[in-house]
Amino acid sequence: MMLELLTVPAVILILGAFLLPLIPERIRSSAFIVFPLVALGVLWSLPEGSLIQVPFASYELHLLTVDSLSRIFGTIFVMITIIGGVYAFHIKDLGQQTSALAYAGGALGVTFAGDFFTLFFFWEIMAAASTYLIWARRTKESDKAGMRYVLVHIFGGGLLFSGILMHLNNGGSFLIENLEQTYSISNIFILLGVGLNSAIPPLHAWLADAYPKATITGAVFMSAFTTKSAVYILIRLFPGWDILVYWGVAMALYGVVYAVLVNDIREILAYHIVSQVGYMVAGVGIGTEMAINGTTAHAFSHILYKSLLFMGAGAVIHATGKSKLTELGGFAKKMPVVVGLYMIGAFSISGFPFFNGFISKSMVVSAAGYAHFETVMLLLILASVGTFLHTGLKLPYFTWFGEKKSEFDVGKVPLNMKIAMGMGAFFCTLFGVYPALLYNYLPYAVDYHPYTIYHFVEMMQILVFTFIGFWLLRKKLEGTPTIAVDTDWFYRKPADAVRYVFVSIPNRFYGWAENSALASAEKLSGVSKNPLKYILPSFATEGREVQSDGFSAGIGAALAFILFGFLVAGIATLM
Amino acid sequence: MKTWHWIALGVVFVISLILEFFFMEIKSPHWWNSIPAFYAIWGFLGTVAIIYISKWLGKLFIFRDEDYYDA
Repeated sequence: MMLELLTVPAVILILGAFLLPLIPERIRSSAFIVFPLVALGVLWSLPEGSLIQVPFASYELHLLTVDSLSRIFGTIFVMITIIGGVYAFHIKDLGQQTSALAYAGGALGVTFAGDFFTLFFFWEIMAAASTYLIWARRTKESDKAGMRYVLVHIFGGGLLFSGILMHLNNGGSFLIENLEQTYSISNIFILLGVGLNSAIPPLHAWLADAYPKATITGAVFMSAFTTKSAVYILIRLFPGWDILVYWGVAMALYGVVYAVLVNDIREILAYHIVSQVGYMVAGVGIGTEMAINGTTAHAFSHILYKSLLFMGAGAVIHATGKSKLTELGGFAKKMPVVVGLYMIGAFSISGFPFFNGFISKSMVVSAAGYAHFETVMLLLILASVGTFLHTGLKLPYFTWFGEKKSEFDVGKVPLNMKIAMGMGAFFCTLFGVYPALLYNYLPYAVDYHPYTIYHFVEMMQILVFTFIGFWLLRKKLEGTPTIAVDTDWFYRKPADAVRYVFVSIPNRFYGWAENSALASAEKLSGVSKNPLKYILPSFATEGREVQSDGFSAGIGAALAFILFGFLVAGIATLM
Repeated sequence: MKTWHWIALGVVFVISLILEFFFMEIKSPHWWNSIPAFYAIWGFLGTVAIIYISKWLGKLFIFRDEDYYDA
């Protein structure tokens, strides 16, 4: 049994998280990479089916359910753990290393979970482990942001768990299967819980709030796991739910609008996660085989290029200590490798031919077309205009190329960070050039060819004219030293008022009650010093005070007799 | 941008037009396929719309000072 458990990829990584502290520091970073490599090997040697069942109360937990969908998601999660491990190779912070491994383990656990309890267990491991990657930044801002992040995820986990319990109570299946499209309370709760992790507005604000404040290396892992494992669960539970089509489109555009407004480079990227996940959510909603394939392929591509982009932004922050467009600019020549590799990520996300965004995003968009969602298709193309506009043009232009906006030194970027970016860029290009490498492993047989003249024409025209539009209006896109309020306003701004009503006022009331109770006790004890003084003032005013601590033998005997009586009565009752 | 940048963009656009008018086959037709260079128009209008609408929304109720939450 114990040996069998070691074939669960999640267990390998979580075990790694426990072993890391025992490994000497100088080889710890290498060891970090060994665990996901082992998991990758195990993952591809497993047959399909539900491989391990463990009894748990009256249920049977399915810890390892393998099919093509879980295998492809598991693969990309493991790949990004390896790349992230290389990127963080120079980090000596044990806490960050263990939590990153446990976080990856959680994502893998969710991916291979066959039942709801296993899912929920790993879901919560992800939330807890990822929180540390924010706190490890050790700034006042990241402390607060991490606390908000964990509270929001506890709330989301609560929604999911309540949904699961109601689902089971209504006789629903314990196994993770497609849910019938009915808006019962249990389904709604599960959808909201999973939707929160997928960053579906208005439940998305945690993402843009926390990711820019996480550690440089932590954000790379975060950009990959939470939202994409949630997309995976959406595919499992909610394929073909119409509402997700419209929600997905709204998300895709929502992220684009906010990406215009924000100033922090990682916040721009974070809002583009919201936008990109929108394509996937819409794909799940369309629910055809082609759309599910597209969603899976796009999640795979997205993890590669988005982590590459986060690595590029992280390199900027590492080298300059600055993260705002209004403070950066004019140093592209000082980090040409980083700029070049970042641009590969930017070309990929924008859907340039021969990069991996082209072969996956077009699949989701085409699936919308084939399913006769024409407006949806046009709006998704519009969102992709926005993607190129921000990630491909605004961010690199104002970060590296435009005029220098403040004084800063450009430090060295560690070699391992560049190597990790190189790995990401390699895979972004590889899958773009040989889409079959990915298509062959998608859940359904693929009958789709991205490299048609139609798609070339489409992308060439869109990209050229987005560029022209950007160039003409670039002054408008310059960062401003402001922040953009989002739905996190609802739990951030009224925080003081909420604290006042629910903490300060009760606190003050209890304080007052305690003080008055003590004061009255003191008064009463004053009275009981000599009660006769109050009962019979004429009798007590003269003579000696009652000595409460000196008893006569008679009183002692009386008390002993009473106690003995209680004892006898007690024993009698017990008999 | 230097002149040759604009020329390069123009060349790419002309190539796309040639492909569109002489070589492109449409597998899954949509209403917009009858509009010539539709994706160029959509790309450009989209860019303009995204920038102006977002900025307008930003000024309407989204922008705040950087210390908004600390104050």
